[in-house]
Amino acid sequence: MIHLSHVSKSYKTSTRPALEDVTVDVGKGEFAFLIGPSGSGKSTFLRLLLREEAPDRGDMTVAGSDLTKIRRSKVPVHRRRIGCVFQDFRLLSNKTVSQNVGFALEVLGRNRNVVRRVVPEVLELVGLEGKANRLPHELSGGEQQRVAIARAFVNRPLLLLADEPTGNLDPDTSADIMLLLERINRTGTTVLMATHDNAIVDSMRRRVIELQLGKVVRDEDRGVYGVGR
Amino acid sequence: MRAGYVFSEVATGLRRNITMTIAMIITTAISLGLLGGGLLVARMTSHAEQLYGDRVQVDVFLTTEVSKNDPNCRNACLTLLDEMKANPDIEAVEYHSQEDAYQQYLEQYRGQPAMTEIVDKDTLPAFLRVRLKDPAKLAIVAEQYGRSPGVQQVTDQREVINRVFDVFTAVRNITLAIAVIQAIAALLLISNMVQIAAFTRRTETSIMRLVGASRWRTQLPFMIEAIVAGVVGSILAVLGLWAAKAWFIDKKLSGLFNSGVLPQITFGDFVFVTPILLGAGVLLAALSAYVTLRAYVRT
Ligand SMILES: Nc1ncnc2c1ncn2[C@@H]1O[C@H](COP(=O)(O)OP(=O)(O)OP(=O)(O)O)[C@@H](O)[C@H]1O
Ligand SMILES: [Mg+2]
Repeated sequence: MIHLSHVSKSYKTSTRPALEDVTVDVGKGEFAFLIGPSGSGKSTFLRLLLREEAPDRGDMTVAGSDLTKIRRSKVPVHRRRIGCVFQDFRLLSNKTVSQNVGFALEVLGRNRNVVRRVVPEVLELVGLEGKANRLPHELSGGEQQRVAIARAFVNRPLLLLADEPTGNLDPDTSADIMLLLERINRTGTTVLMATHDNAIVDSMRRRVIELQLGKVVRDEDRGVYGVGR
Repeated sequence: MRAGYVFSEVATGLRRNITMTIAMIITTAISLGLLGGGLLVARMTSHAEQLYGDRVQVDVFLTTEVSKNDPNCRNACLTLLDEMKANPDIEAVEYHSQEDAYQQYLEQYRGQPAMTEIVDKDTLPAFLRVRLKDPAKLAIVAEQYGRSPGVQQVTDQREVINRVFDVFTAVRNITLAIAVIQAIAALLLISNMVQIAAFTRRTETSIMRLVGASRWRTQLPFMIEAIVAGVVGSILAVLGLWAAKAWFIDKKLSGLFNSGVLPQITFGDFVFVTPILLGAGVLLAALSAYVTLRAYVRT
């Protein structure tokens, strides 16, 4: 699902590479955490997978797209196979919950009937039935993140990327979100989640990929957050 | 992607940016109004050309001697008349004696003693009024008889008409030149509007891109916003021209229209101009929006 080999990425304005010689493989249906201190390159890693940035060196194939060769016009198609969730939710503030979720379908050109049928299904899956007509600012943080997850999942993506999805949430709400991500993972979707939250990583006992200063320093199958420190 | 969805985005966009939208509509309307004005003047000119083309005539004035000695066109005058009747380029010839010319003059300036007192029966020459088959032959005919014996002078009414046309052409050119300058202003305003719209909605656009919206899809609403403003501008331009015709041109120039000196601007002229202005409005808006989005807006 994710295949990176010797990938490096430097931003023009910074002296140190954000990612250096990264080789990682994540298989279909896996659940993996991407951890590391602030500035270690976690977000950069995810941005490369989404093709928000292009790698400087190395080969990478993600969700079936060869990102070393991909043409600009094919990038949207690539992104439609990937769902993504962020710390700041990134919802369209002037659209309702169901419009936000439906938008990901509109973009794919799905017709109105499909949208009408699928959106309530997904809202139910994330536990937001009954809040379909609210605007994002009328929801709690946890609820907003559920909308974002619903939007990421509504196209049944092969891969779900989450960049600190619990970063703005309290521990209880975070635990609920983690349950939701696990549930999505059980449907066969590969989940890669960047996080700072050691409690979550320790309790889940899933694969852990640790970055430091842009390099992979640890890749364990059933890891915890704190090992080696 | 549903059309209704895009259009609701467009409506919100235009409302959110309302002052800019109005500025753009006004500029576009003025620019297209001037363009339309120029086109109408151009059409009027060509109608007038047809109008005068049908009535092209040359007056061949006879010398004082011939005018005086041959009042009934028997001698030198008759030679000339017969020669003209035999000319295949000439449709008809009519003899006007010195007496006729005097009467016509008095008729023309009736009630203006200042004008009528300065001439008497002998002042004005007799003349032959020649109507041509083909107006294009005018110069040749004028040249040909200008040198014939007994002829004093040939006047070509075209000269006067051409002077009128020169005025028309100048009006048209000035109008079109201002239209072009206004069009440039409209273009820049549209470009600015699109940039502001794209900037105020950059978060939205980036979210769209994130869920896999194509560049085309994220930029379409901005294009349509500009085009809507362009269309509204061109409709206003047409209405403005119509109002100018009804309340200004038709009233001020009614004398000229009624006497047939100038052809009237017709509904048909508007039928001709309207699609051009609409097309120009759409093109202007779409083009500058497209270029702006390609050049300045990174998503
Ligand atoms: N757009 C950018 N331009 C220049 N440098 C950047 C940019 N984004 C990130 N960086 C730099 O790249 C490095 C990695 O940043 P990145 O955002 O990937 O870290 P991170 O692991 O996600 O950190 P955090 O946990 O704080 O979110 C940092 O040194 C950062 O300063
Ligand atoms: Mg980050």
